[in-house]
Amino acid sequence: MTTLIKWKNHHIQDVEVNLLLHALNERYGYDFTGYARASLKRRLLDLMSYFELEHLTQLIPIMLYDEAVAQTVINSVSVPTSEFFRDPFVWAYLRENVIPLLASFPRINIWQAGCGFGQEAYSLSILLHEAGLAGRSHIFCTDINPEFLHEAKKGCWAIRNLNPWQNYYEKSGGTGEFADFFIEQKNSIAIRANYKQNVEFVQHNLVNDDVFKEVQFVMCRNVLLYFGEELQNHVVSLFTRSLERGGYLLLGSGENILDLKEHHPRLELLDYSLQIYRKTMGITSHV
Amino acid sequence: MYKMLVIGLSAGGMPLVKQLLTHLPNDYSLPIAIVVHLPKDHQSNFDKVLDCVTNLPVSIVHDKEPIVEGHVYIAPPSYHLLIEQNHHFSLSEDKPVKSVRPSIDVLFSSAAEVFENDLIAVILSGANSDGADGMALVKKLGGLCIVLNPAETEFNTMPNAVIKAVNVDYVVSIEEIISLLVCVDEKE
Repeated sequence: MTTLIKWKNHHIQDVEVNLLLHALNERYGYDFTGYARASLKRRLLDLMSYFELEHLTQLIPIMLYDEAVAQTVINSVSVPTSEFFRDPFVWAYLRENVIPLLASFPRINIWQAGCGFGQEAYSLSILLHEAGLAGRSHIFCTDINPEFLHEAKKGCWAIRNLNPWQNYYEKSGGTGEFADFFIEQKNSIAIRANYKQNVEFVQHNLVNDDVFKEVQFVMCRNVLLYFGEELQNHVVSLFTRSLERGGYLLLGSGENILDLKEHHPRLELLDYSLQIYRKTMGITSHV
Repeated sequence: MYKMLVIGLSAGGMPLVKQLLTHLPNDYSLPIAIVVHLPKDHQSNFDKVLDCVTNLPVSIVHDKEPIVEGHVYIAPPSYHLLIEQNHHFSLSEDKPVKSVRPSIDVLFSSAAEVFENDLIAVILSGANSDGADGMALVKKLGGLCIVLNPAETEFNTMPNAVIKAVNVDYVVSIEEIISLLVCVDEKE
């Protein structure tokens, strides 16, 4: 008989993370197994203090039998962070270089994946209105989390955001009055109805679900950060298939597609610091 | 044989980290990952500032970038910097830890889990306690823990917090930190 070997706690915790993810997937169909592990592990271990547990695996039975607990776990795994016109230099580039070229397509379909609470979706809508393209464009916003989609549809944010977002909007080259895009309520701002008209929110899981629409622009910022390399490759292929030739893909400025030429020959990197890509015009082949 | 060097700094740390990098040899082989807290606007050119003082390549980390020997990596503003088991970096926008993002604790903890006793962690100067929890894990997993002598900086909250929380290996001057780091990298 062999002697059992002692393990360091952090290796045992990796086992616990695997078990929890497996349970979450089998019971609720949320598959986070392909997520980047280091930050995922941190987020899950934070739940231990929240639920006052000694070991992460103690959460498994509670989560399996209690949907509300499972929802808390799911929400803690996919945390949306966004703002209107965040990274203004990116929006300035869209305004000057991408939107004018999108204008050459008869219909403009945009897929914003991982929309969180909708700030970037409505920023896009504002941009399209300002370019006079709102009438023939449609923004499909997807997220894995129905609670986020529900919030995004409402289009309401705390009023303290108004000033910083206005600042971003102006830095991005916006010349309108930012506050005019919103109806001011007591402690909140609500996006005006005309910026909601061409925005649609749909639940979609990048891990399991397929392409649902041919689009000319895919925007997916700071979502792939949370995915491991294999899953990221899978999702970038999904975006590539979804894009019409000549269409654009925009990722978060800190993101990065590894081995682009090898894994995604149909995508051309236009700017590394902006993380903007274009689907080549070349002959159609199966990606 | 050490494989990775992580450095954390905040207020008062800028001249120190410049001095440190200036004195590392051009063929220094350990990869270096740096977390610094600075106001967003100042941080945007931190890589250029450091690039001027060293011949080692300096860059702001992009997500999933593989760690390369002899390279200086800087956490981008507003993202946590972590290290994955396959020795690639990853970024996250998870909530700030001790009110800061990037967090030294986050980098040190994830680096400790990956590199264990092949890791060197250095805390320079700062006005909050970020780094203390991360350093505790570095120590627990066998890494080498180095802290700047708090008497050498006016912003000594950070080194003091680390020394209080962790029985670190060295509490020394910046010159001695440099000699230690050069020493551990010397080829046989």
